[in-house]
Amino acid sequence: MTLLHRRLAKAELNDLVAKAPAESVQLTDEHRASLSTRFRAVSVPGHRRLDAWGVERAGRSGSTFRWSPSTARRALGNASLRRMATRPASVRDAVRDELGDQMLRATSGYSRSGSLSQWLASAPHPVIGLVTAEAVNWATQLQEISQWLDAPWEVPASDAYYDVASARTTLRARRDLIVRNEGTRTIVRVRSGSPGKSAGPGLRADLTIEALADHEGIAPVRYIGLWPEAGVCLSVDGTLTDLRSGARDLVRTAVAQRRQSTLKAA
Amino acid sequence: MTTMLDSSPVSVVEALRGDRSKRPLIDIASASGLRSLLEDGIFAIIGAKRLDTPLVVRTSSLHQRFATTDLGMSTSGRIRGVLIGQLLRLLSVGMSIDHPFDDALTAWRGDVGANELTEHLDALDDDERARLATDLEAHFVTLTRALGEIPARWTPRSSVRIFQRLAGGNVALRDVVDLMIGTSTSDVASIALFDVTTSPLGEGAERSMRFHALMQTLRTSLMPLRTSTFSSATGEIWIRDVDYELLARSVEDVLACVRDQWSAR
Repeated sequence: MTLLHRRLAKAELNDLVAKAPAESVQLTDEHRASLSTRFRAVSVPGHRRLDAWGVERAGRSGSTFRWSPSTARRALGNASLRRMATRPASVRDAVRDELGDQMLRATSGYSRSGSLSQWLASAPHPVIGLVTAEAVNWATQLQEISQWLDAPWEVPASDAYYDVASARTTLRARRDLIVRNEGTRTIVRVRSGSPGKSAGPGLRADLTIEALADHEGIAPVRYIGLWPEAGVCLSVDGTLTDLRSGARDLVRTAVAQRRQSTLKAA
Repeated sequence: MTTMLDSSPVSVVEALRGDRSKRPLIDIASASGLRSLLEDGIFAIIGAKRLDTPLVVRTSSLHQRFATTDLGMSTSGRIRGVLIGQLLRLLSVGMSIDHPFDDALTAWRGDVGANELTEHLDALDDDERARLATDLEAHFVTLTRALGEIPARWTPRSSVRIFQRLAGGNVALRDVVDLMIGTSTSDVASIALFDVTTSPLGEGAERSMRFHALMQTLRTSLMPLRTSTFSSATGEIWIRDVDYELLARSVEDVLACVRDQWSAR
């Protein structure tokens, strides 16, 4: 395992990007088929979604998701920063424009029920203010981090998703910045709070999903997790050992989830 | 430089930003020394023992070092503090606020859902509720008059959380800075921290100001430019330039708090 722990500072972050492995590892069709077989062996009645958070919680289900200013901030903040990359504006204006677009989507009927657009369109004025404040916080923080980076970066249009063939399983990896460096890519992921004991396995799970979601199976050379509230960062390298461990953790999480749902049903 | 204003300035934000040409170069060297002071101090108190539950130091722990009653910590005082915090957040993004109490309450409920404090608020009768609403409005007027408009180019962030784990997890420092302006990407110190309290300013407020500056330094490894605290009860504001001496005093505050908690176990 190649877990590195650093303080979150400009020099440390650039060092992590610059000193990432030079060669990228590639996942083959055999790797994908093997993963699919393992997930099929852990069948569930409905569709299963797995991500790094599930791995960190060892498959324990948390409270039901609901939209709130803090759950909406990342989607809006990242979209605002992406907007700023093409059209320079203040963070606050970019967030307002993004909010406007989201609400327009709801009123023009292009959003499904339960989506962020629908929730925003029905939220009262003060809640929209708080959503703006949270999104501004997120976007400003991500903008500062991106300005620290010496290598070129981009804000991805979405998280990485991978549907495991014939296993009714969708894997999702969080990613906030993609840093390109001499033909390789490093992924930066930002999280709230502080890293717990299972932050490493969570990061490895994201690394594996990101590699699987790439159409050629090319893994990022390094996956960097940032916890700005705690001022620390962790990283894992895109080695085959780490990718295998990430896949194993995801399968283990699926097993734990199935065990818990069986217990709940009983 | 220390600014103590009895009357509100034209704009608190302007006072916090100050003259750009007089800002010191960014200090990236002090954070590690402060961390070492804290680690050594905590080791001297607790030793190498591994605690099951960490000692937690918050702004509120530093506010009240002695067994006295602080009216600001009463349930209604806490609700008033939370609501004024919500209003500050709305002001920081330039939202227009027509009905401070209703708007703050709607924003708060939208954020946290139901909790002990919202239940207490729901249990208030009409008279008590009207009194709280009037009280909050008075605090809000004082705050808006002092704060003025916050320009977007100063990158205001509100309710910024900071968490630091020390001594292998034996001590956890937690903080929330009400408002932060300025950037950490500049060559000169530019971050200014702003705290709002609905109580009159006292010794505890000074410790809080220092604690915010220390936490920001530990989190980013960059020393902020200024730290301030504003009382929406009196309209008074204290602004301090951040230097090593101020941060070292905060380290002593934290260690004293850890010592108190450790001896009480």
